[in-house]
This record gives sequence, structure tokens and C-alpha cells, in this order.
Amino acid sequence: MKKAIGLALAVLATSVVAASAQGSNRIAAVSAAGVNCKSTITLPLVTPVTGGAGFLGAEQGSWSKYAVKTLAKPLGLKVKFVLGDTPVEQGPAPAQALAQKYVADKSVLVVLGPSTSGAVAASSSTYYAAKIAHISPSATRTSLTQGSSKEATPAFFRVVPGDYIQGPSDANFMIKTLKVKKVVLLDFQEPYSTGLSDSVEGVLKKAGVSTTRLSAPNTTTDYSAYVTKVPSDADIVFFPTQKPGDAQTFAQQLVEQGKKAKVFGGDGSNDPSAFKAGGSYVSNFAPDITGIKADAAIVAGWKKENPGKAVGSFGPPSYGATQVALNAIALACKAGHGTTTRQAVLSSIKKVKIKNWILGGDLRWSTKSNDPLNAKFYIFQIQSNGAYKLVG
Amino acid sequence: MSDSTPHGSHVPAEGPAVGQDEWVARHAEQRFMPGGPLGALEDRIRRVPWWAWLILFLAAASTLPVFEHSGYVRYVAFSTVLYMLLALGLNVVVGWGGLLDLGYVAFYGIGAYAYAMLDSDKFGIHLPTIVSVPLVVAIGAIGGFLLGLPSRRLTGDYLAIVTLFFLQLFQTITTNGDAAFGHNLTGGPNGILNVDPFHLGKHDLVVQHEGIFAVSYFYVALAVFAVVFVALRFVNQSRTGRAWRSQREDPLAAEAMGMPVNWLKLLSFSFGAAVAALTGTLFAAQSASVFPLTFYFVLLIIVYTMVILGGSGSQAGVVAGAVIVSPLLELLRDPGKSRVIFFLALVGGLLLMSRRSRALGIVAIVTLAFGFAVHEILGAIDKSWIAGEHQGGFAGVTDHWVVAPAHMARWIAPTSYIGLIAAVLLVTMVRGRLRLALLVPTVYLTAFVWENVMLAKPEPARYIVLGVILIALMILRPNGLLGERRVEIV
Amino acid sequence: MDTFLQLTVDALTLGSVYALIALGYTLVYGVLKLLNFAHGDVFMVGSFIGFGVLQLLGGTSKPVVPVWLLLVLMVLAAMVGCAVLGVVIERFAYRPLRDAPRIAPLISALGVSFFLANSMQLLFGATPRNYNIFDLANASLYTKGFNVGNVHVALLRIITVVAAFVLMVLLWFLVNRTRTGKAMRATSYDREAAAMMGIDIDKVIVFTFVLGSALAGAGGVLQSLRVPTTVAIGFVVGLKGFTAAVIGGIGSIPGAMAGGLILGFAESFSQGYISTKWSDLIVFSILIAFMIFRPQGLLGRADIRKV
Repeated sequence: MKKAIGLALAVLATSVVAASAQGSNRIAAVSAAGVNCKSTITLPLVTPVTGGAGFLGAEQGSWSKYAVKTLAKPLGLKVKFVLGDTPVEQGPAPAQALAQKYVADKSVLVVLGPSTSGAVAASSSTYYAAKIAHISPSATRTSLTQGSSKEATPAFFRVVPGDYIQGPSDANFMIKTLKVKKVVLLDFQEPYSTGLSDSVEGVLKKAGVSTTRLSAPNTTTDYSAYVTKVPSDADIVFFPTQKPGDAQTFAQQLVEQGKKAKVFGGDGSNDPSAFKAGGSYVSNFAPDITGIKADAAIVAGWKKENPGKAVGSFGPPSYGATQVALNAIALACKAGHGTTTRQAVLSSIKKVKIKNWILGGDLRWSTKSNDPLNAKFYIFQIQSNGAYKLVG
Repeated sequence: MSDSTPHGSHVPAEGPAVGQDEWVARHAEQRFMPGGPLGALEDRIRRVPWWAWLILFLAAASTLPVFEHSGYVRYVAFSTVLYMLLALGLNVVVGWGGLLDLGYVAFYGIGAYAYAMLDSDKFGIHLPTIVSVPLVVAIGAIGGFLLGLPSRRLTGDYLAIVTLFFLQLFQTITTNGDAAFGHNLTGGPNGILNVDPFHLGKHDLVVQHEGIFAVSYFYVALAVFAVVFVALRFVNQSRTGRAWRSQREDPLAAEAMGMPVNWLKLLSFSFGAAVAALTGTLFAAQSASVFPLTFYFVLLIIVYTMVILGGSGSQAGVVAGAVIVSPLLELLRDPGKSRVIFFLALVGGLLLMSRRSRALGIVAIVTLAFGFAVHEILGAIDKSWIAGEHQGGFAGVTDHWVVAPAHMARWIAPTSYIGLIAAVLLVTMVRGRLRLALLVPTVYLTAFVWENVMLAKPEPARYIVLGVILIALMILRPNGLLGERRVEIV
Repeated sequence: MDTFLQLTVDALTLGSVYALIALGYTLVYGVLKLLNFAHGDVFMVGSFIGFGVLQLLGGTSKPVVPVWLLLVLMVLAAMVGCAVLGVVIERFAYRPLRDAPRIAPLISALGVSFFLANSMQLLFGATPRNYNIFDLANASLYTKGFNVGNVHVALLRIITVVAAFVLMVLLWFLVNRTRTGKAMRATSYDREAAAMMGIDIDKVIVFTFVLGSALAGAGGVLQSLRVPTTVAIGFVVGLKGFTAAVIGGIGSIPGAMAGGLILGFAESFSQGYISTKWSDLIVFSILIAFMIFRPQGLLGRADIRKV
């Protein structure tokens, strides 16, 4: 038996060593090292692929993949698209490990994501130290790019506006259009919803709206007791979940208890296949792009690649982020005459200007922060047939 | 490996010490005495003392950064050392104390959080590392003691629940600690950012150079590991260690012999918690941030798998467990490497077993032929069934052996996976020729599922591997690779 | 007053499902002295079986059978499926370890739990599944029912509670009024003595797993009628089930029912009256207090160790 164990250990050890040797990069990836633009460039997207927010990764992944497939060749680039998984259940730690992985891989010039704000805060300094630009299609926390103590570094960019727009625009919509008197706000004891609820609550309170704040553990599935605590004269329940199905449950339980309040979700609950309770509201950083004429060809092409899937609102910004990344690489390659560095790509990001931007209009960058200029949040009302109608 | 033989290393050459029966002392050796030149070599290896193995291991580990400049590999090596430390700590509680502590990773978290609070801008405290680390270890030890205090009356499964709920409490408190009585204590779900690296005076032990993981933390962790390993080894060989083992095997008898069983349990909790807390400081200093969800159920299962796989009770064993599992989990993220591991393990496993039974060698050959045949036949019927792409290592070989449909119909994945489970369970139920015959399609089905179902989703796939390791080990070899066999009197 | 009534309704629905899960823990613990960590995941599988049956029968928008039959079929299918799953788990993961040190089956159970949750994720993904019972027959399960004062008690909740209690009564009957039930009680009291009296222990254990897992399957469907399910719920559900079983006194069947209801009330009322943020803390503190001051629970008997 002893021998057998020894042998088993040896087999395991050899397989581990052999596997590590497979394509392992033995060259130190130093930011200054030049990369030949003709070689294959790895473009990772860091997003939750598994776990409760797995739908996010699936949608963003399909759009980024499509963008790489259609845009890389015309720009003269060979790009390999890979997904890095940061399940929301494990917090931001997996993002740190992935950052180390991509920094070490010298074929990585720029990273897409991380998709969630917590993951950005946890890994941005590693990317910055390696001069890798990381462009998020969906991280909306305000303090990443603005304020006195920024959580992200100058290497972080996002193609969608942050909660500094989402919070106030949601709150202002409630105040001006819906004329609310009483609002209940929930958070789910995780960074995204806590930040967003804080921001909305602040604006509402200033306008003299009476607010109640509730807080549910991230593992909650049954919201009955929370519904009970919603006053019967409340107008809106602000429910910025990252699990759209929960928003649906909450809306249904409000009906069950005969409460008149409507659910108002943030960008995280924007999923027409899961959240379709009529009368509810959803805000998002992207309009419904199927209504934009210039995007018709893109949408048709994506649908061909992903038969039977509906166009959500997380995918198009991901396409946009990929477009920015690829264009930045192409610009840097042009300036470097066939070779480029991570540093060069990083400084070309803000030089990228895209006409007929997938989210409508043109893409231009703010001069003060790494946020897009003139971006706004869109508010949808869910119709009784489950369709999302743009209302603000 | 030396401590896998109970007497082996420290029997003096000139004979047993006074008061020891010679035959008894040499009994173990005599039983395993192998013959021939190979046997002599094996005997020689077994006589290498434990500290020589440790030094050899440390020396080998410390050369890693010389050969490997990739920050990622260094980072994985660093986390492997953290896992080794965690496994050593858990071994004290589970392996020596015999207590099922499911709240273990909470102490890892407590250590990380305590360090983060003592050394960050959070409260503006920046204690020197030489003060804060011992302080955190003390906090961990006291925390373990306090958790043990109510739990000591509870045995076995009750203890498991109380400790599991302790982990849950830790989660609840850290995630909601941003508004505890109006104060922000733990940063809530956002965690604590900008934690100081280890520092002495004005000198910081930096974590990264240009984003590349600095190797200094790897060496610090390795040094901490060596100290903890030796310290725990001495504890285990002391009176306390022997008392732990005896109360683990039979608490009633131990109590009857006048041993302070409760005190011993508290002590093992305390030791385990202190080691976990110490590891937590390394983690917090290196990652410069702490978040509640890092210290949760998945991590717990990972550390348990390491301890069980290596063999709870054996220090060398649990370290081996960590050294195997941690890189394995990292490699399984990558489908190409995942495939290499799988096929090497498959071939290695069959070879290993065929040493004991020649029939298995035949099974291996038949399986190989079976695979090519199935591949050819299916290919002849419909090209699309074998048109799927293989990527990464070994693709050339597996391309002609494993069937990979170009488009997976929705029913294929669940059917083949559940079919595989059924086939494996069936193989364990039948005996003799039938089992050998069943083994052929089962192995092939395993390869099919691995290629087409598991490789597509690395995240659940690697955890499934952990679950299977846990169940299979418990049934086939509960004492792990190097563990001591337990004789529990029920 | 309205809030109080509403919270009571919530507590009853929550509690009856908790009781169903707790029963599974208690039955298995009674007979095997094993904490079946995988029980929560059996519950999860049950909720997915229910979802599968619902989709097969046309979904909530166009069901091909009457609503009552649809619900009955979903629950039955989940019960049968989970019973099979429970028996398989017992046969392959626990039976080989029956005479091993007590820590061994516990670790094996952890492995099974992890294996089940991740296998389900591998096969069906992590996306939450919503039965969308709301769409069934124009939301009538939500809007029908009766009113107590201003509080509306929806039909769906009545169905959940009644179904759970019917199952519990059935279980009580099986355990107390049948020969197998008698054998089960004897085994739980003293396994070796029961074996010597000619009771087929293996059969009794299989029967126990059938009962416990079927109840978990039913619980899975009943809970998912109201809230979405995911592959990851097993862990939390398992914790809640434990808590209920321990509060009631693990090993005691009426104890598990009482424990489930107490937990439901504790959770609902602490969320309603004290704090939504700290309700988990309150619930778990109750458990730890029980474990320390009354480890045998409300209705359990004190553990007398034989030497």
C-alpha cells in the first residue's frame, strides 16, 4: 500500500507539473516590454460567469465575443477572447487572483471589466501597477472614479455612467414624474445595493420625501416580512437587487398583500426575462438599443450568433467596452509602428472616439474623470405584457 | 513523510531506551522490512528524519521564484503556502483533537479583519507589524478558546453545528458591521481597503512591483510556515499532544484516567484558531484588503479536502494535501490544463491499479480500442458528432479518441452526466468479470463527460472534483494519503 | 394589529416549510445519529424537479392540466425523485461508513452536499428559476383567499400550510401506526438491540431516507411556489432546517414540527419588529443559546451515553 501511495503521489505530482509546463509563460511580463501587434493578443473579460449573477457574465460574454469576432480583423488585430469568473457569492477576492493571472500573461494588453464595482475596487491597483487599462461595461459605483478617496486607479475606465447619475436620476424621476410621498428602500448587504440605496435616499430626503430603509441578507429568498413592513401608503419600493428574479417575487408579494407600492429596480434588475411584473420601474445605463437605427446591423448579427436570446441591457455596453479596447490597441499599434506596450494602450484609451456609439450618439470622454461624457440613465416602466417601455 | 511510521525515525541505533521493550519498539520496522536493493533504498529513505524532509521541502520551495518569474505562478505559490498553514491549523483541531470544527475559516477571517483594523486607514491605526501580528494571533487564540468554551460539552455533530453557526455569525457581523450601533466597524460588504503591507519602521514590504507579485511575501509565508510546522510538531510530541490523541480515540477512557478532556479540547481549538489568525494577517497584508465573503463555505470545504486528502493527523500529510489541491484547483480553471491533468490521472490511475491486477491492464487497452472504435463508428454515421473542437494540451491525441459533438443538444449534458454517476455507482456494486467489463464504457463515458460537459464550465467542475475527492476518500481511505489510522471506540 | 396578523401568516408559511425540512434531519438523526448535511441540497433538487414538471406540463401561462392537478403532480414528482436521490445517497455515501468513526460520515455528507450543489450548477446553470405561479390562472392564487381584518391570506399560503400539515399527519401515521414505523422507532431507540430482535436495519434506514427526502422534495416545491429557487439555496435552507430540528430536539418528530414553527415565528417577527438587518443574528443566537443551555431541545430526550 505504501508503494501504491508513493506512486499515486508521484503520478499526481507529475501531472500537476506537466500541466503547469503547458504553455506557461516563463518570461516576466514587464509593462515596458513591447508586444508585436501581429501576434495573438488575449482580451479577458472579468465578470460573474457562475453564481447568482451568472446571467450578467453570459450576456456580457456573448456581446464581447461578438465584438471581438467582428471588429478585430478590420483593425488588423488577432485577438483571443477569454472569460474570467468572479462569482458575486465569493466577494471580490477572485478578481484579485485573476488580476495576477492577467498581469503575468504578456499577451494581455488591456482587460475588460471587472463587471462589478467591488471587484474593481479590489483589483484596480494591481492593474494600474502593471499599466493595464481595465474598461468596465457595468461597474457603476460613484467612488470608483470620483470624490476625494477614489477606490479605482487612473487605469480604470467605464463606458457607462456611474451611480452619481443613476441615484439622482432615479430619485428625481420619483420626485418629479411619480410625485412620490413615501418611499421604502432596500439593500442586500452587498456593495452595489448599499451604495445605490444610500444615494437615492439622500436625494429623496432632501426633497422632503419620507423614507424607510430596510436591509436584507444577500441570501434572502422570501421577502414576505419585508413586504409586510412596507406601509400601505408607500408609493415606491426601491429594490436595487442584482438578482432580477427577486424583484419579481417582491412585486408579486406586494400584490398578494394588497399594497399599492410599485417596485423600482436599478440596472442590476434589468432583465426582461426575469423581472416582468407590470407597473414596476427599472433604470439602466443603456437604452433599449433595438430602437436605435444605427445599431440594427449589430443587433441582427448578434442575434444570428445567439439564436433565441433576447437583447438585454448589459450586453451592448460590453460590446462598446470591447470596441474601445480594440480601437485603443489599434491606435497604440499605429503609433508604435507594429509594436506596442501596455502603457501605450493605456494612454490611448481616452483618444478613442467612436461615432455612432452603440448606446446612441457618439462616445466621448469626460476630461475630469475616466467616465463617459453626456451619458445618462434611462428609466423604463414595465408594461402588463412584460415589455419595457422607456419613460424617462 | 517520516511521521507516517510511528517509531521509524527516532529509535536510536544502539537499541531502545530504558523501559522500552525492544521487540515492541522494532515491531513496526520488522513488519515492513523490505528486501533487495530497492528495499534497502526504501529503508534508507524511511530513516531520513523529519527535519531533513522539512529542510529539503523548504529548499526546493524557495528555489521556485528563481525558475519562475511569472507573478501569477508566484501568487499561486504564495496562496499554496497560506493553504498549507491553514491545513496545519485545522489538523490540530480535526486531526489531533478529533473535533469537527466547521467554523475554522471564521478565525482566518478574524485574523485578517483584526490585522486590517489594526493596520489601515480605517481607524487610522498603523501598528508596527511586530506588534500587530502577535496581537492578532493572541486575539485568534482567545477567540478559539471562547468558541470552545460553550462548545466543549457538545460532541461530534452538535459541535459541528455550533461551529458552523459561528461561521454564519461571523459572516452576518462582518457584512452588517458597517452600521453597528451607528458606527462603521467592518466596512460592511465593501470590506476594508488599503490595508498596510507588513512594515518595519519606515520600511514597507511591498506586495507588487509593477503589478507583478513580489516574491518577498512568498518567503515570509514560507518562513512562517516553517516556524508553525516545527512548533506544532513539538506540541504534538509533548504530553499535550499525546493527551490529545488519547482523548480523540476515547474521551471517556481518557477522562477516567484523569485527563482534563475539556481543557484539552479548548486547547486544540485555541491552537487551531491562532494558526488560522496568523495566516489571516499574511492574507490581509498581501491582498491589501479584506471582504466578508472570502471566508466562507467554499474555502472551508477546500481546506477540509486538503486535510482529509493528505491524511488528518499527519503534518506532512496535510501539507502534501495543500500542495496537491491548491495548484490543482488553479489548473482546473483552464480547460487545456484541466484536460492534461485528467488524462494523466486517468492513465496513471489505470497503470497504478494494473500493478495489482493484470486484468486492469487489459481493461485499459480495451478501453483505448473501444474509444477509437466508437469515435470511428459515430464519425462514419454523422460527421457532426465528432466535429467538436478540442483546445489546449493533448488535443491531438484526444481528437481521435473522445467523441465531441459540434453542437451539444440540450439533453446530452444532463443525460451523460447522470448516466456517468449511475455507471460509477453500478461499477461499485458488481464484482468480478462484470465489473471489469463495465469499467470499459464507464471510463470512456468519464472521458466524454469531462471533455464535453465539465470542461465547458470550469467553476462548478473543479468543485465537483473536490466533492468527489471527499466522498471517495472517506469510503476508500479515510486516513488519507499519509494519515494515521484512527481506532475510535464507539 | 394588522402587522401582527400579517407576520403571523408569514410565520406560518415559513415555519411549515422549515418543519418539513427539519423532519428530514430529525428522522435520519434518530435512526443513524448522522447529521445529513446534504439534506438542504436534496430540497434544492426537489425544487428543480418541480420546475421541470411545470415546464413539461406547459408552464404557468398555458398549463395542460387543471391547476390543482398541476400542483399535486409537481409535489408528487419531487417527492418521488428526492426519495430516490436520498436512497442513492444513503446507499453509496453513508452505508459504507456506518461503522467508521463518527466524523467520517459527516465529512462524506459535506462532500455530497458540495457535489450535489455544483453538479446541479454544471447541468442547469446558476440562473434563478422562478415558477411564476403568479401567472397561473390570472394570479388567482395570489388574489383569492380570505381576509382577516385588513390582512389578506392568499390561497397560495393556505395551500402551502395545508399541504405541509397533511404531509406531517401522514408521517405521524406512518411512524406511529405501521409496523415499519414501529421498527423505525425501535431502531432509533437502540439500533443494536433492534437488530437482535430481528429488525432489518438496512431496510429501516432506507425507509427513513425515503421519508425524509420525500418531505424535503415536497418542501422544495412548496417553498418555490412563492419564491425563486437557485442551485445554491441548499446551504442556507439546510442551516434553517438544522436550527429548527435542534430547537425542537433533534430526533423528536413533534419537536421538529414545533421547531420549524418556532423558527418561522422567530424569523418573521424579528424582521417585522426588531430589525431586518440583524434578523439572522437573532435567529442564530437563539440556536446557539439552545445548544448551550438545552442541547436536547424542547421536546428531545437527554442523550444518555452508553459506554
